[in-house]
Amino acid sequence: GAMMRKVILLLLLLCFTAHTRGKLHSPPAKPGLTSCRSPEKETFTCWWKPGSDGGLPTTHALYYRKESSETVYECPDYHTAGENSCFFNKNDTSIWVNYNITVVATNALGRAFSDPVEIDVVYIVKPNPPEKVTVTVMEDKGWPFLRVSWEPPHKADTRSGWITLIYELRVKLEEEIDWEMHLAGQQKMFNIFSLRSGGKYLVEVRCKPDHGFWSEWSSTSYIKVPDYFHREKSTWILITVFSTFTFLILMWLLHMNRHNLKHCILPPVPGPKIKGFDKQLLKNGKSNQIFSALVVPDFPPATSSNYEDFQVEYLEVYVRREQELVLEESKDLHNSCLKSESSTSDCDSGRGSCDSHTLLMAKCREAKEGERQTDRECSPMRTEAQRRLKDWEEEALNYAHAGIVSLEMSSGRVKTWPSVFSPLPRYSSSPLDQQSSLQMAKQLSLSTSSYLTQPGHSTKEALGQSYWDLCLSSKQPHLLNPPTPVCRELQAHSDVNISSIGHKRAPAGPRSPALHTTEYVEVQRVDNKDTLLLQPVVQGCGRMGGCFQMPHGEVYSKVKGVDSDNVLLLQREGMGEDRCPCVEQETNEVTGSCHKSCTVSTTQKPSGCIYTAVPVRDEMATMANGYVDTATMCTLHTC
Amino acid sequence: MPGNIRSVSFAWMVLVYLLFCSRRASVGAAPICANAQAGCHVLSLANLFDRVIQHSARTHSISNDLHSEFEQYFLPSKNHIGRVSRNCHTSSILTPNGKDNAQRMAREELTEVILKLLVAWRDPLWHFHQNMAHHHDFNNFSSNKALEMSDMVHELRKGVEKVAEKMQVLGIISNTVSSLASPEASLPSDSAEWRLMKDYNLLSCFRRDSNKVQNYLKILKCRIVPEHGC
Repeated sequence: GAMMRKVILLLLLLCFTAHTRGKLHSPPAKPGLTSCRSPEKETFTCWWKPGSDGGLPTTHALYYRKESSETVYECPDYHTAGENSCFFNKNDTSIWVNYNITVVATNALGRAFSDPVEIDVVYIVKPNPPEKVTVTVMEDKGWPFLRVSWEPPHKADTRSGWITLIYELRVKLEEEIDWEMHLAGQQKMFNIFSLRSGGKYLVEVRCKPDHGFWSEWSSTSYIKVPDYFHREKSTWILITVFSTFTFLILMWLLHMNRHNLKHCILPPVPGPKIKGFDKQLLKNGKSNQIFSALVVPDFPPATSSNYEDFQVEYLEVYVRREQELVLEESKDLHNSCLKSESSTSDCDSGRGSCDSHTLLMAKCREAKEGERQTDRECSPMRTEAQRRLKDWEEEALNYAHAGIVSLEMSSGRVKTWPSVFSPLPRYSSSPLDQQSSLQMAKQLSLSTSSYLTQPGHSTKEALGQSYWDLCLSSKQPHLLNPPTPVCRELQAHSDVNISSIGHKRAPAGPRSPALHTTEYVEVQRVDNKDTLLLQPVVQGCGRMGGCFQMPHGEVYSKVKGVDSDNVLLLQREGMGEDRCPCVEQETNEVTGSCHKSCTVSTTQKPSGCIYTAVPVRDEMATMANGYVDTATMCTLHTC
Repeated sequence: MPGNIRSVSFAWMVLVYLLFCSRRASVGAAPICANAQAGCHVLSLANLFDRVIQHSARTHSISNDLHSEFEQYFLPSKNHIGRVSRNCHTSSILTPNGKDNAQRMAREELTEVILKLLVAWRDPLWHFHQNMAHHHDFNNFSSNKALEMSDMVHELRKGVEKVAEKMQVLGIISNTVSSLASPEASLPSDSAEWRLMKDYNLLSCFRRDSNKVQNYLKILKCRIVPEHGC
């Protein structure tokens, strides 16, 4: 029973609670002031937001209190500004005065007060948007621009200076999203440039007091920019055309100068530029012809200037009945040798009688050629031996030639006897005297050859033998004429006695008186092939060179020996006279005849027919037959 | 050599003398172009007004910044405002509180009100600056602003005085505007009040008063010389 009652009571209570929950009235909830705004700083409006009304009709009231006054006033106008608003008109609005505003919600059950809000009208000004916004398209030198103009909101009194507004506008193309903002300041007009031709623009303006809130944006103004002339495109066209022209011109220039360009970029490979060198011959493979072009015919210069350098010495050739041939060596030979060698480093070189030897041999060869001629003329007496001699001579000449070559190559050494035999080169530019000497050489070689065939006198040095058989020619100028009679004479003499054959000898001046004349040969010079160029000297000239009269005698000189001072002693055999006082000789055991001898210093430059003695190697000083190997001699020092 | 030294020293003396002369001229100079001589650049009233208005705008801007700074750091809740007494020491000065009132007021009155306000704020601002300098709570930036504010008010007052003078010269206003020699004379009773004001109150009050000054000047300008930007 009691339990049952309690349960029912509980249930009833629950039901009642549930019932009343839906319908329960309560005092209103606290409202809240949302904002207060003044559009022109003369009036203002406040808005509130009511809370829950608690199920009962609730009224709201706004009360305000002014600064430093305790009087509470109620909102004068609830309706002008709409619902839940309070509008304060000019009379009720005081600027620079703090308002304390409160909203009260009231219903049957109770009241609710909102939180008070302090406001100063000056700081809640939010003007209306600008009005009469106009946008026009204007043109500036062909380029369009937008001119936007507006007016301040009519309520805001900017004329009296009560409110100062600043404006801002924004622009965008219709299809764009982002606006382009422009701050206009206090002015009421603004220009917009850089428009797109044919675009549609949207423009909006808003304003703000110097201390307040921004107004809302004005209504959008639409404007369409007309399609102005496609200057951009035309510019591009111009640029394209211009660049095309430039390109074409450049190409044409390049084409015109392609050769130069080619030379610049790919310079041609320079070919060989040797004077006288023919590339075609090289390609053909005939080297001889090629290099022949390189040979300078004039080298070494065969001028007579060298003649002066030489110490004029005489080569005296004796043709004796006794078949003695005296040769006078000239110092010139040495000098000529020296000259020929063209290297003064080695004193020995060029100075040696070997060189002169070779010269002699050169002339010998030459003479040999001539000899053939004379042979024909002078050779009825030629024997078989002579023929053999000839052969030998050829050989010797070859040797000599080789020797000459070797002489050239080396530093001036004449190695062997064969070198003595040297072909006599022909010199086209040779002066007359040279020719004569050449001729004399020929003659000399002629007799040389004949002598060599003497078996008795053929020694190991036979090859090396060199002697001059001077075939006296009739006259100097007519050198070409083979001195036939003299030749023969020579021959005869040669056959008879070739016992003493001396070739290189100290200058021997003496002539055979028996032979009447002593022929002097003056060594002109030594050519490049180490050939001794002889020049006949006139008998009467004696010591001085320069006379070119042909002597008429043949004198052979025999090398006596070499003294301790390395002086070559030549012996004149059967000589009685001493034409040249400077002939050095001594008594020869062979012949016994001696003549004056004079020592000549080697260093002294001879004058006339003074010759320097030829230094001789000691071991070779004495030879049985009196021949001296000048080659070996030349190996010594100061020649 | 001595001749050179002499000449140099003489030139130097001349230079110094000229400098002094120019200085003296500027110090004891009469108002520029008092007689409106030819070639003398006269500042127009509109120009003067513009300058003064710009000055007042600057002043108000600084005061606004300081006030918001104060509010941010020292008054977190707005409700706190109610508890603070909001009696500014300049409330005794009668100032128009509306546009109509301001427009109805005579130019001379308006000018005088401006001047009164400016005069009233000279000392409080100076002291405020002193307080800020000694307080470690404020940073240098605020302290500098306070100093600038103080100086500006001083400058502004001089400017307004000049404008008034010009207006009087031009006959726009009568000579009833008295130059207030001693600021304390106008507010003897309030002299002690502002000392009691807290910094925040002071800033609030000054912010409002600078706004008033600016507004009044604008009104005055648009009333006297309306052709330029009104």
